[in-house]
Amino acid sequence: MTRENLEKAFLALVLMVVFGLPLILRSPTYLHILVLLYLYAYLTTSWNLVGGFAGVLPLGHAAFFGIGAYTSTVLYVQYGVSPWFGMLLGGVIASITGIMIGLPTFKMRGAYFALATIAFGEGMRVMVENIDHLGPLNLNGPRGLQIPPLNVGLANLMFINKEPYYYIILVMLIAVLALTYVISRSRLGYYLNAGGEEPEAAMSLGVNVARCKLMAMAMSSFLTALAGSFYAQFSLFIHPKSVISLDLSFEIAFIALIGGRGSIVGPVLGALLLRPVSDFSRIYFGATLPGLHLIIFGTVLILVMIYLPRGLQQPLTRAYQRILNRLAQSPR
Amino acid sequence: MRILEVRNLVKVFGGLRAVDGLDLTIDEGQILGLIGPNGAGKSTAFNCIAGVYPPTAGDVYFYGEKTNSQKPWDLCSKGLARTFQIVKPFASKSLLYNVMVGTFSKTRKRGKAEEKALEVLTSLHLYAKKDMKAANLTIADRKRLEIARALATEPKLLLLDEVMAGLRPTEVDEMVAIIRALRDRGITVFLIEHIMRAIMALSDRIVVIHYGRKISEGTPKEVASDERVIKAYLGEDYGVS
Repeated sequence: MTRENLEKAFLALVLMVVFGLPLILRSPTYLHILVLLYLYAYLTTSWNLVGGFAGVLPLGHAAFFGIGAYTSTVLYVQYGVSPWFGMLLGGVIASITGIMIGLPTFKMRGAYFALATIAFGEGMRVMVENIDHLGPLNLNGPRGLQIPPLNVGLANLMFINKEPYYYIILVMLIAVLALTYVISRSRLGYYLNAGGEEPEAAMSLGVNVARCKLMAMAMSSFLTALAGSFYAQFSLFIHPKSVISLDLSFEIAFIALIGGRGSIVGPVLGALLLRPVSDFSRIYFGATLPGLHLIIFGTVLILVMIYLPRGLQQPLTRAYQRILNRLAQSPR
Repeated sequence: MRILEVRNLVKVFGGLRAVDGLDLTIDEGQILGLIGPNGAGKSTAFNCIAGVYPPTAGDVYFYGEKTNSQKPWDLCSKGLARTFQIVKPFASKSLLYNVMVGTFSKTRKRGKAEEKALEVLTSLHLYAKKDMKAANLTIADRKRLEIARALATEPKLLLLDEVMAGLRPTEVDEMVAIIRALRDRGITVFLIEHIMRAIMALSDRIVVIHYGRKISEGTPKEVASDERVIKAYLGEDYGVS
């Protein structure tokens, strides 16, 4: 087999496994964990468009997640609008918000940008926590919103079983990975990387660095908001601490940094490693050592930053390439 | 045809007049050299021309169009490219990637951008290293990569900021040959350089600045025998008398 065929075969195998998994894995608990794993892989991949390619470190993406969750939920609960429409509208609102945040903050460098985005995310949470009614919209402040599980079905993005959620988030993840792949090979991808690494040189080569970053931010915040709506429909209960929390923004950044920022597989690898740690530590140590997963994350992050500054994807892709080469060479 | 005209350019940083009333012109197809002692304002003048800093006063005309407040990326699309004195490669990327950032300015298509980038790399004898990471290059190759990237944007005027600094004599000779070849391809070259041997051999005309002001202008021969130039470089005591 040639190399390309091998790569295709590997990809097909992975797809078969992920699509077939719910047929073997009947336990709702494990499916729940997998849905969250894919959700985080999706969120981190969306984040990666800005945080990876554009070379900045946004730490306020929970705000966009919250915008998505609240938009679809308020529209559905109060006005009966399908969450699918609320999802898109939330994406558009998040996108506009992302551009407005990006305009002033992309001028800042390094830690200052990160701090500004933290402030934005936290500001958003505090606002929602303290607002019961926004005009005609009922946000219900810190008590959050509940989605009554009536009218289940695809039209309302609500299901009794976990399987449909599993397939929806899986398709979303594959779509966002494909989008990232296309962008990374396009002019925008080259421009984002160039602008992130050496802005002055990029500008002199015809790159409007600020505009490219804003485009990436608009896409990233749009995609993040879609996941927010999905999460709201999945958990059927949202409150500011669950969907606009700093923990969420941090966890996305953790996954990206550990998996490998700016690479396509990095966010998926990061989520594969960290999500089970977080879920199982909650299951087994939740009562005695709550927050243990954050300590593990921190330790892993320190180790990765010291020994693998470009993330886990670096040794793993190298090993993958080596295996492929060996298989391609061996005579059959 | 006049490709660049700078009139009474002034750039002030706080209390420092880095460039102080500079006038110069370049005709198409020429090689113009800009020399002057360290801190004379050469790079600042370049940055004003390339759109990095807006001039405090005075005007810059590119092909007769006033370009004072235009941004580097706009000027690039109009045909002005530059290199940096302190090289700024996209270090984590391959040479091909570096040059493709430049070729993408003229096309959106990836295939075309790659094809053109390979052409540029070949013309600068970097083809064999196309897959190497820019971070692993020697200083001579980095300087060459700077030129390759700038050329990738298909410039009409190329500003070269000390592309020979730090090179060995044989590498300087190679660079001189490269710059001559650029001129033969119809690219106008404006270069800052400290290596006198190179700039004397290359330039059609030379402008000398000192404390932001032009103190001499002419053919390499005229400039080399100008008393003010010798004084600026060697100090008052060494005046030719």
